[in-house]
Amino acid sequence: MKKTWKRYAGLWMVVGLWLALAVFAWVKPEDKTSDSERRPLAQFPEISTQNLLSGGFSKDFADYAVDQFPLRDNFRSLNAVFHYYGLQKKDNNGIYLHAGFASKMEYPLKQDSIDYAAARFADLYRMYLADSSCRIYFAVAPDKGYYLAESSGVLGMDYGALFDSLQEKLTWAEFIDLTECLTEQSYYRTDTHWSQDKILPVAEKIAGTLGVVIPKDFTEKTLDRDFYGAYYGQAGLPMAPDALRYLTWEGMEDCQVFSYDTGKTTEIYDMDKLSSRDLYDVFLSGGMAVQTITNPHAESRRELVIFRDSFGSSLAPLLVQSYAKITLIDTRYVYPKALADYVSFTDQDVLFLYSPLVLNASQILKK
Amino acid sequence: MLFSSIEFLFYFLPAVILFYFALPVRARNLWLLIASLFFYAWGEPRLVGLMVVSIALHYGWGLAIGAGKTQKIRRLFLIGSLVTGLSMLGYYKYADFAVENVNGIFGTAFPLPRIALPIGISFYTFQILSYTIDVYRGKVQPQKNLIDFGCYVSLFPQLIAGPIVRYIDVDRELKNRRTGMEDLRLGLRRFLMGLGKKVLLANQLGAFVEVFRSSGEKSVLFYWLYALVFSLHIYFDFSGYSDMAIGLGRIFGFHFPENFDYPYVSKSIQEFWRRWHMTLGGWFRDYLYIPLGGSRVGKGKWLRNVLFVWLFTGLWHGAAWNFVLWGLLFAALLLMEKWVPGIQKLPNFLRHGYVLLAVGISFVLFNAASLSQAASDIGGMFGFGNVPLVTLETLYYLRSYGVVIILAIVGALPVVKSWALRFDGKWIEPVVMAALLLLCTASLVDGSFNPFLYFRF
Repeated sequence: MKKTWKRYAGLWMVVGLWLALAVFAWVKPEDKTSDSERRPLAQFPEISTQNLLSGGFSKDFADYAVDQFPLRDNFRSLNAVFHYYGLQKKDNNGIYLHAGFASKMEYPLKQDSIDYAAARFADLYRMYLADSSCRIYFAVAPDKGYYLAESSGVLGMDYGALFDSLQEKLTWAEFIDLTECLTEQSYYRTDTHWSQDKILPVAEKIAGTLGVVIPKDFTEKTLDRDFYGAYYGQAGLPMAPDALRYLTWEGMEDCQVFSYDTGKTTEIYDMDKLSSRDLYDVFLSGGMAVQTITNPHAESRRELVIFRDSFGSSLAPLLVQSYAKITLIDTRYVYPKALADYVSFTDQDVLFLYSPLVLNASQILKK
Repeated sequence: MLFSSIEFLFYFLPAVILFYFALPVRARNLWLLIASLFFYAWGEPRLVGLMVVSIALHYGWGLAIGAGKTQKIRRLFLIGSLVTGLSMLGYYKYADFAVENVNGIFGTAFPLPRIALPIGISFYTFQILSYTIDVYRGKVQPQKNLIDFGCYVSLFPQLIAGPIVRYIDVDRELKNRRTGMEDLRLGLRRFLMGLGKKVLLANQLGAFVEVFRSSGEKSVLFYWLYALVFSLHIYFDFSGYSDMAIGLGRIFGFHFPENFDYPYVSKSIQEFWRRWHMTLGGWFRDYLYIPLGGSRVGKGKWLRNVLFVWLFTGLWHGAAWNFVLWGLLFAALLLMEKWVPGIQKLPNFLRHGYVLLAVGISFVLFNAASLSQAASDIGGMFGFGNVPLVTLETLYYLRSYGVVIILAIVGALPVVKSWALRFDGKWIEPVVMAALLLLCTASLVDGSFNPFLYFRF
């Protein structure tokens, strides 16, 4: 009897583990969102005849069961560690680690996407800039992969071809090469973006090309909340959080950020976003279609318009002191035709600033 | 519902097992029937009726054959069973293919019926026909209990992807079976081994196949890796599913037949098919090849029999010309092995290499979406179409999937089984089982790549 019990003790432990997980899954209250993945989680599907007969219920229930599974984040980490370290996969969900930095494997270069982006920029030029006295510049904000892909032994896009292709197509803009202003250390370890405290050389290079000067009297501050960036959730690999640092200056609090999307006026660093899923939203309140930053302390009346993606949110504050007004436009969220309602293009400096991550997936730019 | 899914592992299966053992023995087949119909309806809510009709129809045919007074009447009822079973299979599986070919040959423009393929119809049709044929042959008595018969046809462990369990294999167990502790241990172990093969190996290999398909920078090396990886993928996918089915069957007290026996160690194609999808090969042998005369006929008829069997084996796998060619390729290889003297006398490594090469190429043909893609893939393996020998992308994915590929190659050899059996009943066994459960759960929770190839048959 004792021998039999011993023989099957292990079996009962496995059965117990299985049942415990099952019961936990049945009784666990639903979570609304996943902080690490920054997305809403599937909820229990609607029960209706139509939904049941169409097979919609079973599909939705499968999503629900996966999304609401107990210890979801722990299981995701276990899976990531098993594949990345155990099976020696070079990337996990397209994210790889190198020297503590997580980066996305952006490969290959999609020429049709680059062409599409260039065509959208050309539309903007024809609609608003060709007949104005604006001075037009273009810069690619290199993503982390530019510095990490080759040394990590992962696939990386042909950045040279990307730059050449854009310069060839955007002949109406002066190209600003930012690659020498950055290293992999310029970026958050767990996020897509560059870290504002590391991009002063970028701001100086742009300002120098645009013919303005950036004062060097910034004060560095650090948020007291850990920053787990987008790659942290996507990779599921155990990583230490980043610190989110930002640069302030005297008189910054008098600058006002107006977002046409919300109709709200905020400060440059929006501390209401401290409770946001993405702490990077602290910079100019996150993704907005059209925003203006007005600087009452500006010494000239010069204005800057930036067509940008999210990399521009942390860069624009560094240029504020040199301009009376900066307008930020993100055509992922606004149709170009609608811009006439917000901006009058006369003689501003105009900068197109986009990362390869957007340029290589440019269908999100509105036509 | 996939076995390798959270809803199956943590909702459906525990509930079914708990109720199964809580119910009195006489109610268990009814419970399994209800659970199996629910399982099927979960994925095919509109087509579960078709299976219920099949069950009722062939239950009737079985009784009629059994009650037939003369051989002639019994034969008529058997023909009725074959015609209805194969008509349903033909209509749901081959109607589009037939219309497409009629249009192609005669230049007509009949619209395609676009009929949805009911999951597992090829499997359960063959199971049903094994029953009526064996009743006709007098090998089994007709099943008088509709619930028991329905339970046999719809039994969820083997319903949608086999193994093809003949009625004769489970006849006694439908009436009288028990699950002892040893059955539970072996069943659970077999299920978790299958789950691991499917989730931890096959899904990873499948992800490589997806990467290959979407790559714009193919190379000769990439094509060969694809052939290797897909051969391993389909093996672990299908044999993993069979292991899960056999394990679940054991938990419920059934002893299902084995379906795979390390096919990649074969030294001839004949041996390969004795080790690959054994229940399908056995079905065609016993219900088609031997009734046609088998090999005890003249050369011409034997050739016809071989071609018939392999034509239908190909068509069973799918209604497309690449499956037909796939079947006929094996017919040609088997004929070659029979007729070309000296093949059996070649050194073992050459015979083994020939089987791997032939099977690898056959699976490239098998997995092609069209004949032109098959030609392009096979051509690419031999450098046709200005394909470079190697690209950076190929090397990256070789490095990234290298460990998985090596594990899969080793796992496809019998040495792993004999090594693992040394730990049978030892303390490490439940540790491995728990680790497999947790790792597979982690993979499924993370929403990793998880298709199942044999659902389309």
